[in-house]
Amino acid sequence: MSRRPERILIPALLALLAGCSTDVALRDPTIPDPLVPQIPIAVGARYPEAFDHFIHQEQVIGKEKWQIDLGQSNKLLFNKLFASMFRDFKVVQGDGDPSSFGVDALIEPSIDAFEFSVPEQSQTDAFAVWIRYRIKIFDRQGTQIANWPISAYGKSQTSTFGGDEALRRAAVLAMRDAAALIIMQMDKTTGISSLAKANAQSDAGSDSVIKTTAVEELNDDAG
Amino acid sequence: MMTQGKSRLVGNYGRAGMLVVAVLSLSACVTSRIEDSRTGETGIREGEGVVIMAKSYHLGNETESGFINCVGDAISRGSSGLRVIPTGEFVDALFPWFEPRTAPADTKGLPELMSRPGVADIIRSKGVRYVIWLDGDTDRVAGGGSLSCAAGPGGGGCFGFAWWQNDANYEASVWDLAGLEDAGRVSADFSGTSFLPAIVVPIPLIARTQSRACKGLSDQLKVFIADDPV
Repeated sequence: MSRRPERILIPALLALLAGCSTDVALRDPTIPDPLVPQIPIAVGARYPEAFDHFIHQEQVIGKEKWQIDLGQSNKLLFNKLFASMFRDFKVVQGDGDPSSFGVDALIEPSIDAFEFSVPEQSQTDAFAVWIRYRIKIFDRQGTQIANWPISAYGKSQTSTFGGDEALRRAAVLAMRDAAALIIMQMDKTTGISSLAKANAQSDAGSDSVIKTTAVEELNDDAG
Repeated sequence: MMTQGKSRLVGNYGRAGMLVVAVLSLSACVTSRIEDSRTGETGIREGEGVVIMAKSYHLGNETESGFINCVGDAISRGSSGLRVIPTGEFVDALFPWFEPRTAPADTKGLPELMSRPGVADIIRSKGVRYVIWLDGDTDRVAGGGSLSCAAGPGGGGCFGFAWWQNDANYEASVWDLAGLEDAGRVSADFSGTSFLPAIVVPIPLIARTQSRACKGLSDQLKVFIADDPV
């Protein structure tokens, strides 16, 4: 049971030098291509600034500080997801009106809350990550048609991957959980696919008005 | 001179090696019970394989990923080894239908799953005949004793006695994707008590409960799946 002193001292010294904090960075969440039929609709996504560089810290009371840097992985997640789910997809920038983007629907995802627990807190061998996303959907006229909160959860055990890798893996699993939920529930919950039909009907309505006018003009000319 | 030094070195290594072998060969006893219950006919053809999955943590399951890897390795080894499709590859190919949230909880969900676009084709192309769902974990259920170690300039040592008992309880549910039915289940309950007496040098007598459960469950699963001719 006795240990060589350097085996204890070196990690302890390194921990002190690092200010008793562990930094974990997630660069590529590797979301596979989903096996779902595409919704025939043109969609734009507008991301908040936080999606460019999302960092979350968790201080375990009396223990070390953990920090997870998700970088642009939320943006990568939603780009991959929406590009697979919808027939046409593009990322839009700026605060312009949805009608100026040439899409049937504009989606604005955001993060409401991000939490994680480490084994010291949960008294288990597992890291767990909770992410609460919010998805707002606007129609072509800029009217908000949905405001949908999504709670996602991921869990990974320490023994296989080690602390850093386990937290990273739990975050990826939480993102995949969110993706699975969005794929399964989005249309049912928000009715986004009906927007294309509504827009088509609206366009057809506008066309028929124009045609009617044209016919009336022709009749006038004939008369 | 050189020869004497070399032979002394070999002698030291030999003694150290024998000591390591002796310590490793000391292992505590493990009691085991393996049962299976068959609800459908099984059998496996050339080119067909199995996928090992953990039941969802959304359902409270805490099967260790090391145990899942161990069962996968053990099932694929030996002359009666089965073809094991890597879990990650299977789950990614069928994303999002085998995520912890979305995977079917029982075989009643299989017809709906197989009717989803592309799912049946991928399962067929990968040659997946059975999905084995693992449930359960290894827990320390008891322990005691006292052991203390000390080290000083003149050396160090330990004195005392410690013991602990681990219980490994696992169940494997076998789903037949050809018949879309539950083929049955295999359960493994192992219990082992480890001892650590120390008089200067600690002598670990470790009960390898989880690895024994892994081997026992895997051997029984191989028999369960491949025993009956198709």
